[in-house]
Order: sequence, then structure tokens, then C-alpha cells
Amino acid sequence: MLSIKNLTASINGTPVLKGIDLEIKAGEIHAIMGPNGSGKSTLGKVLVGHPAYEVTGGVVLFEGQDLFGLEADARARAGLFMGFQHPIEVPGVSNAAFLRLAYNKKAEAEGRDELDPLEFDDFIKEKIRLVAMREEFLDRSLNEGFSGGEKKRNEILQMAVLEPKLAILDELDSGLDIDALRVLGEAVNRLMRPDRALLIITHFPRILETLRPQFVHVLSGGRILKRGGPELAVELEERGYDWVLEEASAGRGV
Amino acid sequence: MTAGVESGPLSELLASARPGGWEALRDAAESRLAHRDADLAPLGGRTLRTAPPAIPPPASADAQPYVHPEMMATRQVFVNGFHASHASCATALPAGVRFFPISTASEACRLLGTLGEGAPDLFEDLNSARFTEGAVILVPQNLRVGIPLHLLFLNHAPAAGEGSLPAVFPRVLVALDRGAELELVEEHHGEGAYLSCPVVEIRVGEGAVLRHERIQREGAEAFHFGALRAEVAQGGQYHSRTLSFGARVSRQRPRLHLAEGAEASLDGLALLGGTQVADTQSFIHHAAPHATSRQLHKCVVDGQARAIFNGSIRVAPGAQQTDAHQQSRNLLLSATAKVDTRPQLEIYADDVKCSHGAAVGQLDPDELFYLQSRGLSPEDARNLLTYGFAADLLARIPVASLRRSLRHLVLARTQAASLGDLA
Repeated sequence: MLSIKNLTASINGTPVLKGIDLEIKAGEIHAIMGPNGSGKSTLGKVLVGHPAYEVTGGVVLFEGQDLFGLEADARARAGLFMGFQHPIEVPGVSNAAFLRLAYNKKAEAEGRDELDPLEFDDFIKEKIRLVAMREEFLDRSLNEGFSGGEKKRNEILQMAVLEPKLAILDELDSGLDIDALRVLGEAVNRLMRPDRALLIITHFPRILETLRPQFVHVLSGGRILKRGGPELAVELEERGYDWVLEEASAGRGV
Repeated sequence: MTAGVESGPLSELLASARPGGWEALRDAAESRLAHRDADLAPLGGRTLRTAPPAIPPPASADAQPYVHPEMMATRQVFVNGFHASHASCATALPAGVRFFPISTASEACRLLGTLGEGAPDLFEDLNSARFTEGAVILVPQNLRVGIPLHLLFLNHAPAAGEGSLPAVFPRVLVALDRGAELELVEEHHGEGAYLSCPVVEIRVGEGAVLRHERIQREGAEAFHFGALRAEVAQGGQYHSRTLSFGARVSRQRPRLHLAEGAEASLDGLALLGGTQVADTQSFIHHAAPHATSRQLHKCVVDGQARAIFNGSIRVAPGAQQTDAHQQSRNLLLSATAKVDTRPQLEIYADDVKCSHGAAVGQLDPDELFYLQSRGLSPEDARNLLTYGFAADLLARIPVASLRRSLRHLVLARTQAASLGDLA
């Protein structure tokens, strides 16, 4: 589904990704872990086309298509989604109106029927149950005045509405209490299907108890230093990141 | 008109003890006008004289498109400066509330011309010297009016021609007695070339609350120069929102006087395109301690339009514990659009919390990207954000049908209508 080969990127001329290779197949759940400032979020933002980053090398294919040949909005309509760590507030635009617009733009691109406000009302009620969001949040302005946890809930609601093929979730657990994390983790699991994939970006392994990745990659300094299975996440939980970094600097890394 | 008004400021208002109350006001305004040049001001290449002609009354006027279901029977309609009794309907007013044409009020509406502070400008003087019609709204002590009142001014003038501009001078007086509460919607609509010079005077009594929505949708060739004076007594609240969409050139000149513990908000939105000019000159006077004011002024400026904001806040000596916050936020949609913003704080007390800020710019790239990352094209994202920037000020309009119609107007004016029904 996603094939990343030797991806390099920079921000304001400073290299931040220094040769990333990653293969994600349909049905797989991958986790990118690493210390703060390692380039984890950067990788996600580069994939979804954030304008602050410049891709300086490498090839990324999404469903066989050159990802960097598509604008950010076209990537989204092609089925790529990123749940952001710090979602933006948009005053004046109601959450419900925005969600319906986003849904309809994607439906239009896929040649499906658009939903009118009444149809969307039924559709969205089912989705907000999935993420246990109170209905009043639909009438409020998009993310405006939402707490950190409410914003994350709203990101997963958007994911549920857009049903992406590949969802990248950046630090889903930050700002969430344990109950909310469990609810959202389970919601993400229920959105997972054999023809979809997940890329979880996280500093803390806690989220991986709910979202169980088959593949774990440790990213630091813009490079993937170590790869493993779920057992690597457990080891990181116990030992932290320092040993991976030391191993890598001693030349024994991946 | 004094029957049924027993005591308090209302009886003072309507006291017959000082006949000629209006005349004194007119004389003062007239003498100030006499010291100005005969041709008062050039308005878009046309001149305004001290005695502009009235717009002729139209054969018939259809107010129906402007009527809101929530205010069906609490409305007074004025067409070309004349009270349109056939289009008005005030049968749903709660007992005790007075809402009537100013021409039927006592000659001694003594409050007129006495509220607020600071010298009237040319247009306010013109109004004081020339007004013949308008509305008076009186709410007695502790009466909470549960239904909004609608004040509708419609103007139908001929298209631009030769000679002096015809003009209308609506005058409005609103007085809330102690503890009263009211929601008032004031709308100005029109077509053709004319000058509209409304003056609104407001007294909010102790602990009283007035929520005031003001909508300016004058015709594209029209000029609108409005003045508003509000005095808010101890613990009273005055909350207003002024939305400027129409007129070739418009100016809003609100002046607020806040007594101890008063609360005020004075929000504004100007949505401009073409060669429109909209000017806001506001003044909020914290005259006594513990008063709070909030001011958010937004302009969305496209084409070669120009927005001006001069927002002044004065904290008087001794007005300790003042809490004043002012923000001017402006969105430029074209390279030729222009915004001049000048927030000003004048503080003569030392224990206060005051802040102000001004921002002029384009849309936030992070917001644009966020919407694009959800599949909206760059153009759709821009239009949606522009809509949101303006519609933000509409969210708390209490009258649902009005809120909805204004959202549709903003959708259309921000090219966001293609995004479907967001209202």
C-alpha cells in the first residue's frame, strides 16, 4: 500500500529525514517510535504533504501512485489520512458542516452519492457513538475551544467519516486520559480492515497495548535505527530509547 | 404618551415639564451646522448640503422579505424615513414595553441628545437638526422582554443622478430601566443612491441588559454615516454586534460610557469588496471602576475596498480594576485591498487589566493545510476559512432565522456558497 524508499526531507534547509525506507502492506499495523525530536511527526507530515517540509530525495508510492505527484488534498481524497498531534482550530465553521463537506468532497471524488444534511445527520450520529463524542460538539466550531482530548476525539471522528485506506496517527495518546485512550483505540481498531493499514506514531508504548502493531520501527535523528515486532515495543517500555541509540552509534544498528 | 408611566427614568423621559426639548437639541445642532461650509462634505464626488432633500416616499414598499418569524409581531418598519404603519406590527409586545414611532412621542423626550459624551460630528448634527422620524423603545424596571424587537429601516431611492444626495435621518432612543432586559435587532436595507444618517441613543439602567444586533445592508450606491451613544449605568450590560455589508461608503461611530461594574461588548464585522469603504470610529469610556469591555472588530476586504478602524478606549482616573480587551483582526483577500487599523488605549488608572492587538494578513497556512489534509481543494479551503473568519461573529446571534440568513449572505460574499449549505 505504501512504499517509502530512501526518503530525505528538510525544513528551512535543515535535513530532518535522512533516508527512510518503509513498506506497509494492506492489513498491517506499523508503529514508529522514538525520542522527542527524532523526526517521527515529520515523517507523517511529509507523507501528507505539509508545505513546511521540502522533499529532497527518495520515492514514495501509495497504492502504486507517486505520492509526491499529488497535492495534499488529492492525497487525502486518494485515501491517506493523518490524525494530527495538534489539530488546528477553525472558528466560524461548524464541526458538522465541515465533516459533511469533507465527506462529500471525498464521495464526489470516488463517484459516490453525496449526503444531504438530513442523511448526513443519521450518518454522523452513528460515527459519534463510535468515538463516544457528545452531540453538542457537532454544532461547535471546528476544534475551537476543544480540550486536547476532545481534539483527538475529533480527529478520530474525521477518520471514521473519511474511512481512509492508510491512517497515520500522530501521538494519539497525548492529552487523553486512560478511558478516552481506550475508547479511541478501540474505535480505531473497529475502523481497521484487511484492505486498510495503520501507521502509529508514538513516543510512549502505552497506546500499543490497544492498537497492536505487527511491526515496530525506532526512528531517531531522521533515520530508522531499529526494526522489530511487538516485542520491541515491550523492550522500549522497559528500557527506554537510550540503548537503541547507543547500539546504533556503536555501528550495530539496523 | 405619559399615561401608564409612573416613575423612574421613564417618566423623566416623557415629562411634559420641558416642552421644546427637541427644539433645544435642534437649535444647538443647527447653530453648529451654521458654522460649517454650505457644502458639507464631498461624498464620492457628490456634495451634501445642510438641507438635503428627503427621499420621496415610495408608492408601496414590501417589507415582507425582511420580516423574521421570531419578530413577526414586534416590529416597527420605516421606509425612506417615514413610519410604515401598514408594514409594522407590534401586537406581541409584552405589557409595559413601549415601542413606537418617535413622531408620536411627546415633544419632550428629554433624554434625546443628552446621552454619552464627546462632540457630535457633522452627520450626527445633521440628524439632530433634521430628523423627523425614528423609534422610541422603553422597557420598565425589572421587565425581561422574552421576545426580540425588530427595527427595520428600508430605503428605496432613485439610482445616482445629478444634484445633491437625498437623505434620511432616523433617530432611535432606547431606554431600559433598572433591571430590564431586551434584545433588539436594528437593520438598514436599501437600494439606490442616498445618504442614511441614523443616530441611536441608548440608556441602560442599573443592572439592565441590552443585546443589540445592528445590520447595515444599504444599497451599493448609498452612503451610511451612523452614530451610536450608549450610557451603561452601574452593573448594567450593553452587548452589540455591528455587521456592515452594504453601502459605497459607511461609517460607524459608537461611543460607550461605562459606569461602575458595567459590562460591554462592542463587536464589529465589515465584509467589503469592489471599491467599498467602511470606517469604524469607536470610543469606550471606562468612567468608573470595575467595568469590563470586550471589543472584537473584524474586516474582510477584497477588491480595491478599504477598511478603517480607529478604536479608542479611555480608562478614567480612578477607574481601577478596569478590564478592557480590544482586538482588530483583518483579512486581506486581494493585493489592492487596504486596511488601516489603529487601536488606542488611554489609561489614567494604575490597577487595570487592559490589552489590545491588531492583525492584518492573509489566511493562516496551517489552517489551510489542515483543511486540505481532509481533502478540500486549496480554493475550497480558502473560501471555507474566509467564511469562517467572518461567520465567527454570527455564531452568537440569538435570532435563528436572522443568523441563518446572514450566514447565507456571508457564504455568498466569500465565494463559499459552492461548498454547499454550511449555514
